[in-house]
Amino acid sequence: MGPSVSLVFLFYFIPVILTFLIAFTAMDRTLSWRFIGLGNFSRLLGIGARDPLIPRILVNTIVYTLGALPVTIIGGLLISVLSMRVRSGVGLFFRAVFFIPRAIPPVVYGFLWAWSFEGTRYGLFNAIRAALGLPVVQWLIRYPMVIVILANGFLGISLAMLVFSAAIATIPQDLTRAAEVDGASEGQVVRYVILPLLKWPILTMTVWHLMSFLNSYVYIMLITGGGPYYATEVWSLYAYHAAFTQYRYGYGASLTALLVVVNVVLLLFVLKAFGMRRMLARGKIEV
Amino acid sequence: MVYKRLAKIVPYVTLVVVALPFLTMYVGFFMRAFGEKMTLGIIPERWSLYNFRFLWQPIAWGLEQTTMWTAFGNTVFFAAASGLIVTTICMLAGYALSRIEFRGKTFFLVLQLILHAVPGPILLIGIFFLLLYIGILHRIPGVALARAALEIPLGIWMAKGFFDGIPWDVERSAMIDGGTRFQVWYKIFLPLVKPGIAAVFIWGFLFAWHDFIYVYTLLPGTVKLMSTLIQSLLATEVIDYGYLAAMSLIYSIPPLGLFIFLQRILLKVPIFGGKGAA
Repeated sequence: MGPSVSLVFLFYFIPVILTFLIAFTAMDRTLSWRFIGLGNFSRLLGIGARDPLIPRILVNTIVYTLGALPVTIIGGLLISVLSMRVRSGVGLFFRAVFFIPRAIPPVVYGFLWAWSFEGTRYGLFNAIRAALGLPVVQWLIRYPMVIVILANGFLGISLAMLVFSAAIATIPQDLTRAAEVDGASEGQVVRYVILPLLKWPILTMTVWHLMSFLNSYVYIMLITGGGPYYATEVWSLYAYHAAFTQYRYGYGASLTALLVVVNVVLLLFVLKAFGMRRMLARGKIEV
Repeated sequence: MVYKRLAKIVPYVTLVVVALPFLTMYVGFFMRAFGEKMTLGIIPERWSLYNFRFLWQPIAWGLEQTTMWTAFGNTVFFAAASGLIVTTICMLAGYALSRIEFRGKTFFLVLQLILHAVPGPILLIGIFFLLLYIGILHRIPGVALARAALEIPLGIWMAKGFFDGIPWDVERSAMIDGGTRFQVWYKIFLPLVKPGIAAVFIWGFLFAWHDFIYVYTLLPGTVKLMSTLIQSLLATEVIDYGYLAAMSLIYSIPPLGLFIFLQRILLKVPIFGGKGAA
C-alpha cells in the first residue's frame, strides 16, 4: 500500500523541490547546475536587469483570469438553471452539448477553435461570412484575448454546469412549488429560491476555476500559441516557453516557483476563509 | 395567457441562442470531415471519404513519412500503460484506505486539494529533470508513469468507494479461514470490485489518451502520438482542414465511446458512498 504514496511523492513532491532548486540556477541547454542565487527572481521583479515582458504578461494573466472566471460561473449558472427548467430530454441534450469540450481531446478542441476563427475564408466563421457577402475578419489577430477567454471559459462551463445542475437537482420540489403557489414568477423563483441554495457550489467552483485559469496554458498554446506578439501570453505559458522553447530552464523554473507560491497562498487563504471541512466535502466529480 | 406562453418559451430560446455557435462549430467540423467543396461555409457539395485517406496512405510530414497507425498504436500503448499503472496502484491504495487504519489517512484527503494547487502541467520542468536523472525521459513507458501519477489521487478515491461498498463480513470470514491480507485482497476483493477496476482503468486510460502537453514536452519529436501528430500537422504551412478534421474525428471516437461506458459503470455502483469522505 506504500507504492501509491511513493509514486505520488516521486512525481509531485520531487518535481516541486527540483523546480525550486532549479529556480536558483542559470540552467540552460547544457543542463549544468550553476547556482546564481536570486538572479532569476531579481530579473523577474525588475531589480537590476529586468525582463521587459513581465508587465505585459502580468496584465495578460489578470485579464485572462478575470475574464474567463465570470464566463464560467455566470455561463454555468445560466445553462444549468435554464436546462433544469425546460423539459428533461431537452435539458439533457443541451447539457450534453456543453459537456463536449471536456469529452474531446484538448488538441481537437484547440483545433476546433483555431479552425473556426481562422483568418482566411477557409475558417468556419469566415466562410459563413463570405457566403453572406461580408468581408473576412482576422479573428485571431484582432480579438485573440476574447477568443482565448471564451474557449477556456466554455471549458470551465462544462464542469460548473454539471456541478450546479447536480446541486439544483437536489433541491426539493416542494420549495420551488411553494414559491410558485405563492405567485412567484420564474425569475423570482430562480433569484430567491435557487440561487441562495447554490451558494456553496458557486463559491467552490469560483475558487476551483480561479486556480485552474491561473495555471492553465495548454489551450492557449494550442489556439494562439501566446501570440500574436505576446497578446495572449500568460504567466504559466511564459514559463513553459522560457523553459522548453528557449531552453532557459532556470528562468522558467523561477517563474513557475512564483506561481506555485501564489497558488499555495491562495489555497491557504481559501481554506482559512471557507473552512477545511466544507472544501473537502466537494469536488468529488472533478475532472 | 400570451405572457405565460412567452415565459415558457424564453428558456428554450436562450439555450438555443447560446448553443448555436457551438452547434455550428461541431456540425461544421463534422461536415468538413466528410465533405468536399464547402458551400455556405458548412454545407458540403459532395460527400466523400477522401479526407480519411490517411487510414490507408502514409502521411508526408517534412521529409519523413509516417502513418496514422504508428501514432495510433503509440497512443494505445501509452494510454494502456498509464491506465494499468493507475489501476494497480489505486486498487492497492483504495483497499488500504477503505479497510486499514493508519496514520496520515486524513493527509490523503488533503492531498487532493494540494495537488490541485500545484497541477501537473506546471510541474513539467521538475518532471523533465526527474525523468532525465532516472533515465526514462524520451520513452513512452517513462512518460506514461509520470502521466499516471496525475490521475492517482482521484483514482484512489474512486477505488476506495468501490471497496467501501463491500461488507466487512466477507473479509472477516476470509481472514478467519486463514487468509493473509494480500490473499484476501487478491482472491476475495478483486473479483468483487470488477466494475471498479474497469472504471479506474478507463479513467487512467482516457486522460492519458487525451494528453497533449506531457507527450509533446517529454517525448522526442520523432515519436508521434495522435495528439502530437495532429498538432504537428497543424503547424505546417499548408493546412488541409478536412484532412485534419477527419483525423481528429478518428482520434476522438474511442474516448467518447469509453465516456459513455464509464458513465454506465459509475451510475451502477455507489462511488463515494459509505463512511468517511462524503
